[in-house]
Amino acid sequence: MVHALEEIRRVLVPGGILLDIRPLADRWPVEVGSTGSFEQTGRVTDLPVQVDGDVAANQAMMEATARGWFEREQEALFPFLYSWDTPSEMEEFIAEDWADFVKLDEPAKMATRAAWASAEAEARVQVRVQVLITRCKVKETR
Amino acid sequence: MTLQKDPEQNESKHLHESAAFSNKRVLEVGCGEGRMTWKYAKATHHTVGIDLDIASLRVAKVDRPYALEHKAHFACTASEYLPFPRETFDIAILAWSL
Repeated sequence: MVHALEEIRRVLVPGGILLDIRPLADRWPVEVGSTGSFEQTGRVTDLPVQVDGDVAANQAMMEATARGWFEREQEALFPFLYSWDTPSEMEEFIAEDWADFVKLDEPAKMATRAAWASAEAEARVQVRVQVLITRCKVKETR
Repeated sequence: MTLQKDPEQNESKHLHESAAFSNKRVLEVGCGEGRMTWKYAKATHHTVGIDLDIASLRVAKVDRPYALEHKAHFACTASEYLPFPRETFDIAILAWSL
């Protein structure tokens, strides 16, 4: 990771901008509802790969700034929603696409199915992924 | 599958709040199928998306809007060894890839 950051700095102009955008392991909430009104029914469980990945990425960024390659200018968190029509579609996606990173425990699945079954016809299921965006600047002098 | 990603478009909003893309030369690391690329590339001078997943890059090339045909380019390469001279880009984006 640090080597990649060094390469990115090399190809950026002095004063150039690096935007680091990535999801953070944060036991993302699972929600059921329709526009404007969602109820939390559980949370995903972060697997070690996800947590360790966050730690490694944070350390790489800290090292890059400590070496004077970049100056951290601003950072913000925002929600990135993954939204499905039904709980079974969500469960299938998590099991296939996120299997290495997170899992959904049985109580959360049951609560989500129950909430969706008793919700309005247009109700959807969503996972609220926490995303971090960090803006760094390449130092003007190399 | 009826998956919707970021229906509130928070990512696009924060992306544009964090950098001015107008006429800039942009490198996107981990571009995948171009999901993020399409959100900003139109304003840039040109954009290069890189990824190690050839299948995803194929999708990106097929999905590339006609208006971006001469602006958005894709390459299969690792971020540790970028095949570009120094000071080639104004903005680099780590797209869910660090």
